[in-house]
Amino acid sequence: MRLADTLLRRGHLAESALLEALLAGNRPAHLDQCDLCAGRAAGLNRWLDDVSQTGLETADDIFTAERLAGQQAQVLRRLAQLDQPKRVIAFPAPRRGETNSQDGRRVAAGWVGVAAAAGLVLGLIGGQVTARLAGSSQSAADRAAVATSPPPATGTSFFDFDIENSSLRGTPAGVLDEMTPRAIDTIVSTRVGG
Amino acid sequence: MAIDVKALHAAGRTDEARERYAELVGRHQRRAARIAYHYLRDAADADEAVQDALVKAYTHIGTFREELPFEVWFTRILINGCLDRIKARRRRERWLAPTPVDAYGVERNPADYLPSRGQSPEERLLSAERRAQVMTALGKLPERQRMVFILSHFEGCTSREVSTMTGLNESTVRVHLFRAIRRLRVLLTHGAAADTSVQRRGTRAAR
Repeated sequence: MRLADTLLRRGHLAESALLEALLAGNRPAHLDQCDLCAGRAAGLNRWLDDVSQTGLETADDIFTAERLAGQQAQVLRRLAQLDQPKRVIAFPAPRRGETNSQDGRRVAAGWVGVAAAAGLVLGLIGGQVTARLAGSSQSAADRAAVATSPPPATGTSFFDFDIENSSLRGTPAGVLDEMTPRAIDTIVSTRVGG
Repeated sequence: MAIDVKALHAAGRTDEARERYAELVGRHQRRAARIAYHYLRDAADADEAVQDALVKAYTHIGTFREELPFEVWFTRILINGCLDRIKARRRRERWLAPTPVDAYGVERNPADYLPSRGQSPEERLLSAERRAQVMTALGKLPERQRMVFILSHFEGCTSREVSTMTGLNESTVRVHLFRAIRRLRVLLTHGAAADTSVQRRGTRAAR
């Protein structure tokens, strides 16, 4: 018996001592001599049983037989899926040296290369021929233009452009042009003034 | 029976192995559901935890050792699964608002409102209150104490079995059990106020 029990509880066991005795399973001699402590120990035991019973009932009310049956079925379904051989969906890989044409028929890769090379050669030749033909016609036209054009006027400049000769005359743009002071006039007036 | 399942599975006779395993499932399912429910305190979570543990036990049946009872081996798988779920739940709860709880601090389960047969309304009310009190008190226990208490008192496991299932020392199991009962006693007989004073005393003692 503990000293604290002897001094403070007049020899009666503390609850923790009762609990220790209950859990360890070794019954202290005091319990055989003291009806009060024996009653307390029995009460503690009943209380523990009650708590356990309540806990079990709470869980069993939630996990009914139907719910457990459903759970078992679900587990077995998952196990059956696990045991089935894995299904691998094969990706259709193209065979070596072949490629898919648009209509779904397979065309050998070699032929695709030949076609590309032929296209390139034809394109180069065609480009050369076109350039040559265009160059000769352009030079003839240039020669003709040089022969028919008047000799360029001396002393003309950008400012000599006159609305009198342009297609703007008589149009709203032409009217606006007449109202606008000309740069050459401004320059001349500035020089004269200065 | 677990040994038979293991042998059949190893021999590639999976259909037969599954049939035998179904018997094992039926035998251990209720117990597993109780443990998971009291540990996780959520019926849907417990349901999933039990299913996962049963599937995991089957897929790892090759590692099952004959010297250990299937019950102990399976419970260990279940407890580890429950622990993982609790960790995941905590991570999730950091980002979520707290779920509404009743006056006892318990998340109400729709099953609580289902009328049970054969009881008067008063009896039902008292029974529901008592259950709510017990569940709240259990919920206030630290995880290890709760697990040790559930295994010892709900499932009737010995300290040695609990030690094997949880991976704790046998003496540690006994200490956890003692503390769990002492705290439950305070919570259920004297109320929360006494529990606070016990906690304060414990904190002072720890210092």
